Amino acid sequence: MTAVIKTHLPVFVVAAPLFVSFLLSPMARRFGWVQSLVVGVQGLGLLLAVYLAGMILKSSGVPIIYSMGGWPAPWGIELWTGSLGAFFLLVVAGVTLPISLYAVNNLSDEVGDATRSTRFFVLYLLLAGVLAGMALTNDLFNIFVLVEVATISCCGLVSARRGPNAAKAAFNYLILATLGSGLILGGIGLVYMITGNLNMGFAGIALNGVWQDYPHVVWMAMSFFLVGFGVKAALFPLHVWLPDAHSTAPTPASAILSGLAVKGYIICLVKILFGVFEVHLLDVFRLDQILVLLGMLAILAGSILALAQGELKRRLAFSTVAQVGYIVLGFGLMNIKGVAGTLFYLASHAVIKSTLFLAAGALISATGKTHVKDFAGVGRKMPITMGVFSIASLGLVGIPLFSGFVGKWYLLLGSLEVGNLTAAGVIGIGSVLCAIYLFPIIRTAYFEPAPEDDWQDPGVPQRLALVMLGIAVIGLGVLPGPLLQLAQKAAADLLIIP
Amino acid sequence: MKDFVLRRVVALLLPFIQMFGIYVIMHGHTSPGGAFAGGMVVGLGVIGFSTVFGIEQGKTKMPEHVTTITESYGTLWYILMGLVGIFKGLPFLANKLAVDVGVPGELTSGGLIGLIGVGVGIRVASTMVTLFFTMMEEEA
Repeated sequence: MTAVIKTHLPVFVVAAPLFVSFLLSPMARRFGWVQSLVVGVQGLGLLLAVYLAGMILKSSGVPIIYSMGGWPAPWGIELWTGSLGAFFLLVVAGVTLPISLYAVNNLSDEVGDATRSTRFFVLYLLLAGVLAGMALTNDLFNIFVLVEVATISCCGLVSARRGPNAAKAAFNYLILATLGSGLILGGIGLVYMITGNLNMGFAGIALNGVWQDYPHVVWMAMSFFLVGFGVKAALFPLHVWLPDAHSTAPTPASAILSGLAVKGYIICLVKILFGVFEVHLLDVFRLDQILVLLGMLAILAGSILALAQGELKRRLAFSTVAQVGYIVLGFGLMNIKGVAGTLFYLASHAVIKSTLFLAAGALISATGKTHVKDFAGVGRKMPITMGVFSIASLGLVGIPLFSGFVGKWYLLLGSLEVGNLTAAGVIGIGSVLCAIYLFPIIRTAYFEPAPEDDWQDPGVPQRLALVMLGIAVIGLGVLPGPLLQLAQKAAADLLIIP
Repeated sequence: MKDFVLRRVVALLLPFIQMFGIYVIMHGHTSPGGAFAGGMVVGLGVIGFSTVFGIEQGKTKMPEHVTTITESYGTLWYILMGLVGIFKGLPFLANKLAVDVGVPGELTSGGLIGLIGVGVGIRVASTMVTLFFTMMEEEA
């Protein structure tokens, strides 16, 4: 039995959340079962992901290749569990579990009755399964399908809250994301046209031989992928949909959208850029410099825009735009330190941003206020929520011993290694700006007198979720060991350095 | 709609429309069309019935709790068919290796694909109907 599970592990990791999500919607009347099933399958997913990552780490990065239906690679579809896949899978499983725990018994205010909440969980699990699929897939057309399913479930999650604002935000997102999907499909079509393969490994090999005959097609395909995934991942000039969508969504949805969904698209982009075009072509077409430039722009613009926001959730949403900049910048550095740092930063931002959004949601639902200046004295009344919020803020700024520091440190080392002082400077300025837009909230919460209000920490599952995430922020900062090792292996795989 | 001719014609045509849809679903692997197209035809049959005989009448034929179940379990069926391969000790979604696929060109020659098609067809049909009902409710 264990041997069977071990061989089919990659399939189970992707199929289990999907299986449960299709099981849920007729069960709306037994809402207790729905919730326990969701949390249960996420817990199982985390166990499987940890095991898979351990296997990859132990075999020092030898990928586990699973051919669907028994058809080998160029004809069939592969699930490729390399170090990058295992890494992202671990991040997805580790963050979705606390978020689903937070949603337990907590959706009625924001989403509605049991039927609507069940539908929310269906979309949530669909997104979790699709993100796991994005981590493991090795097929260009599969990426397109996964991106589409993710987009549709994201739109559903954004519009889960009733009201005109949510509908408008979801509609904006739908239009822009559809544009992005179109561009991605165009890029896949161009790659298929000149390589005749949809499997990324085989497409990469074929492209290596023919790219000199079709330089314009390659250039166009690259730009299609960059813009298409850029829209979906909210890369700076294309981020316009994100603040509305992420700030109007219900709390758990904001957390998964900002923490994970955006990164899923980045992982897909990276898989295509480094897996199909490979480092050599990125170098020839100067894509590394474009990525660094876009990243720097996003860091500065996102941070400054975040400073201008008065509403807490909007401020956090703009902060996501800035953090996407760090991640994109790191991939543009194209050295082990930079790419490993950016992968670790991706993981730590997934944890931190979901913590911040969950804590912000708890603050907002307890106090009924949304503006950053309204949370005076919350620190005394809601010690757990605000404590975790402060830990996550410190992590996002990049204070040593918190998880953001490790990622930013490696990013700095990476940019100094390529001699890009501007990038290093921008990383530093971004951290300072981040402190400027987050620390005043903490100051107001702890050092200003509370109005006479009966504010309380949220219920037990929510507290548990917040504490789990808070521990993860500190844990990744103090002992980055295994995850950083996995990130370094993934970076070496992406850059094709043995 | 009160028109006698329209009601009669739809009532006469409906069984044939549904039959054709089911035929297309079942023969997805041997002829053009397939589960998606066939499911569409089946769903359109119900939609035609509802436009002529009224939404209320249509909803008694396919109430919401039934479409919820068919939609979810139609997709679930796909994953269950994928698991057949694993139970036979083969990869997920294995078909030719897991079951006897018979003589090419015959109805049963698709192996599990025919069975998967039935699930997809049910799902597509009920999704079409749900979409139609949702839009009509918003109109009213």
